[in-house]
Amino acid sequence: MAATRRLQKELGDIKNSGLRSFRDIQVDETNILTWQGLIVPDSPPYNKGAFKIEINFPAEYPFKPPKINFKTKIYHPNIDEKGQVCLPIISAENWKPATKTDQVIQALVALVNDPEPEHPLRADLAEEYLKDKKKFTKNAEEYTKKHSEKRPSD
Amino acid sequence: MEQLANQPPGAGSVLHQICVTVECAHIRTGSFIKPSPYVEISVDQLAARKTETVKNTTEPKWNETFNLSVTLHSKIHFAVLDRNSFRKDTVVGEKILDFYQLLLHSEGRNILDVTLDLFNNKQSDSPVKVGELVCSFKGCHIDVSTNASRRREILGRRSSTNSIAQAQQQSSDTNSHTILNGVRIKPKTQGTENSEPGTSNLTERPSRPAPPVPNPTLQPSPSNNNIPIGNIGPPASVPNGTVLQDEQRQDEPLPPGWEMRFDTYGRRYYVDHNTRSTSWERPQPLPQGWDMRRDPRGRVYYVDHNTRTTTWQRPNLERLQHFQQWQGQRQNVVQQGNQRFLYPQHQEAPGASVPSSVVEEDDGLGPLPAGWERRVQPDGRAYFVNHKNRTTQWEDPRTQGQEIGDIDEIPLPAGWEIRYTDDNKRYFVDHNTKTTTFDDPRPGAPKGPKGAYGVPRAYERSFKWKISQFRFLCQSNALPSHIKIQVSRQTLFEDSFHTIMRLPAYELRRRLYIMFKGEEGLDYGGVSREWFFLVSHEALNPMYCLFEYANKNNYSLQINPASYVNPEHLTYFKFIGRFIAMALYHGRFIYSGFTMPFYKRMLGKKLIMKDIESIDPEFYNSLVWIKENDIDECGLELFFSVDFEVLGQVVHHELKKSGDAERVTEENKEEYLSLMTNWRMTRGIEQQTQAFLDGFNEVVPIEWLKYFDERELELLLCGMQEIDVDDWQRHTIYRHYTRNSKPVVWFWQFVKQSDNEKRARLLQFVTGTCRVPVGGFAELMGSNGPQRFCIEKVGKDSWLPRSHTCFNRLDLPPYKSYDQLVEKLTYAIEETDTFGQE
Repeated sequence: MAATRRLQKELGDIKNSGLRSFRDIQVDETNILTWQGLIVPDSPPYNKGAFKIEINFPAEYPFKPPKINFKTKIYHPNIDEKGQVCLPIISAENWKPATKTDQVIQALVALVNDPEPEHPLRADLAEEYLKDKKKFTKNAEEYTKKHSEKRPSD
Repeated sequence: MEQLANQPPGAGSVLHQICVTVECAHIRTGSFIKPSPYVEISVDQLAARKTETVKNTTEPKWNETFNLSVTLHSKIHFAVLDRNSFRKDTVVGEKILDFYQLLLHSEGRNILDVTLDLFNNKQSDSPVKVGELVCSFKGCHIDVSTNASRRREILGRRSSTNSIAQAQQQSSDTNSHTILNGVRIKPKTQGTENSEPGTSNLTERPSRPAPPVPNPTLQPSPSNNNIPIGNIGPPASVPNGTVLQDEQRQDEPLPPGWEMRFDTYGRRYYVDHNTRSTSWERPQPLPQGWDMRRDPRGRVYYVDHNTRTTTWQRPNLERLQHFQQWQGQRQNVVQQGNQRFLYPQHQEAPGASVPSSVVEEDDGLGPLPAGWERRVQPDGRAYFVNHKNRTTQWEDPRTQGQEIGDIDEIPLPAGWEIRYTDDNKRYFVDHNTKTTTFDDPRPGAPKGPKGAYGVPRAYERSFKWKISQFRFLCQSNALPSHIKIQVSRQTLFEDSFHTIMRLPAYELRRRLYIMFKGEEGLDYGGVSREWFFLVSHEALNPMYCLFEYANKNNYSLQINPASYVNPEHLTYFKFIGRFIAMALYHGRFIYSGFTMPFYKRMLGKKLIMKDIESIDPEFYNSLVWIKENDIDECGLELFFSVDFEVLGQVVHHELKKSGDAERVTEENKEEYLSLMTNWRMTRGIEQQTQAFLDGFNEVVPIEWLKYFDERELELLLCGMQEIDVDDWQRHTIYRHYTRNSKPVVWFWQFVKQSDNEKRARLLQFVTGTCRVPVGGFAELMGSNGPQRFCIEKVGKDSWLPRSHTCFNRLDLPPYKSYDQLVEKLTYAIEETDTFGQE
């Protein structure tokens, strides 16, 4: 498997680096092309919970970028109802074969903490975020309480 | 196949009057800006009727009534458009309603309230539901009793054979709507406007693919039905982004023969006992009117009772949508055909009838290609025989189309000598007068430098001359008499396939006499022109899985690596090879062309990295990055091996022997990139390409094409179109230039002064194809969706113009004068070898 060796190395590096904002990485041995993990944001209104994501690497990795999906529902202008997220670092125009998954995850965590309403996937939430930040924060907090995963205790 | 009843009866051409009231729509857009929507209705693509425009709303109400004349077969097209005062109005969403299907579900009522799901497939590669349109139909009490009993029969049969899925679906919806293909009819008493629709089994009219060929000698053994399931493991990789959708469909039952299982990690996968395969993706139930069957060899295929056709591939939403898109083009196919042209065919080719040279016995050119033989006429003149397709020619197939320099058999006048300049240009020394000249002193020699064919090189380069060379070969190898090809329009592709594969290939060079069954009309050219256009369009039918679009929005076609789902695919590729050769031989055009790399492959040219850009820009960008950056320190972990996925299976390939063990480094990366390029351009399609070329070569020796380069080959095969320069200019955008910048003004001056060939070539240079989209330049597509023709200021005036075909962009340096621009641009568009390409 061409992508396997690269992904094994990246996975080892990520596990060793002990990222606080990305935990519980699960990859099964027979299919290293799919990773699961827990995004643990530290900015409100998302710091009350954690969010499960899935990273899917194409067979042509690293020639083609991975795709990221949220498995936990989240109230966020850049993440849609299906869990799809638009992350510039893994877009077709910006992708470089040297981009590492930990950079991708850091970009993702940064986006979760700091929404970019200028490039929304959910226009309604972006509008709310820009026009009535208070209301947005309240809604997002409630939504997080209701739907998100438990944060790791340590 | 049995007679199926889901078709309208023969009397369907009678016109009926109906009243359609367009009530309102619910539009969901992702944008802040609200549209100003209006509705356009057309029946069978005829003159459209429009409602008023309602300004700035996603909840427009119109309540406008239209009287429409329809037949039972009619397709009623509803489109919601956004009025735009500055640009062309855009389609918000659309839906095609099959009137007959509507009547089948009318339950005898005269007035039907119908909600149509609106889809938009312009924004992304798969149609997205963007809202709903509410209409009422009056006058639906039309007697369809001629086949009412048969209808009951088939509905009954369907619910008994075709799956619990449908039964379940129906029962869950009995309380309100009838579901048919994203169209819901409401009984008068119900009024739950906003209730979320159930599943939309999107399908209008599926396929007409190759029927499985029954083979009575190979009956499936009974044990085939009891598959040892223990051998079936889960699929190799997880397709991206399917899991979520799966969960939403979890409640639907699986189609018959499918089973859900869990692997050792607790992950869900699906076993298809019918085809003995597994998939991570939950199967969609078959669309309405579809059925799964088995041929006598036990192979599974799918029947579409709506159109009475079959396909090997399990129909799914995406495929049916592609099919719809493909079918949508059909209306334009013949019309387009009438607009294509090339230069008139010459009866006699200048220079070609008297080749100036005889190739020596031992000519250092290596052996002739397989199937060729060199013979000598009684008068000593050599010629070449191609036994494969029984053609003869004067020219050596090994050097055809190449410039081999002059072999001068006429001696020079006394005292003259040939010499060459430092840059290898030939000149003549006259020792008598101690002068030199570039002009050949021999009598009859044309002035100016000559090419391989004894005519001035400038003329030899011209497309017209090349065509006449090719035509001359065709004419001198024509066979007497004609062949009759009789086809029915309903089964055009299969009929054509069978006839053409049954005949000895060389016979396909006889004059063609095409007949459409049941239609009178003598084929003096018009019928066969239509036939070539229609068959070529059929060959692209996505249900055959033979070809695919190069990428999401590139109109050019390439071989589909998944074509092997059709067990007969190689025979089909051979057929298409023969068919394409016939089109060239008989001087007919085909509907849609192939990718530039495919033409290069036909011409036996080496494929370079840049060629990948047009078919897979993402992959290309990564290769370029590797080429341009020092890769030793960035942990790429690349080895000389590679994977790719086809139909959910990952195929591993070593680029060289023990490639798995050899790491890619800065030192050996050139080799790696070259191997990768080659692999990327051929992966999964080698056998098919070979079958295509074999088929081609049987009819026309492929060497005959070598006069042309890949761009000329496309022009030859697809013909040219009149190009509307005003439309082109109107839909062009500029970067770092304005429309008044001097080079831009000169550019358009140049375009306006060019003939059609030059315009077509310029367009091809920038967009990758000489064809203009049906809707004009406004609908030009790039690799990431709509992409206008763009002129960007790049570089210095000493540079040549460059192009980026996936973005339809021309990099035009700021030239100092009109003449300079013309010179550079002409050079760039006529030179195919890596010039103008990064």
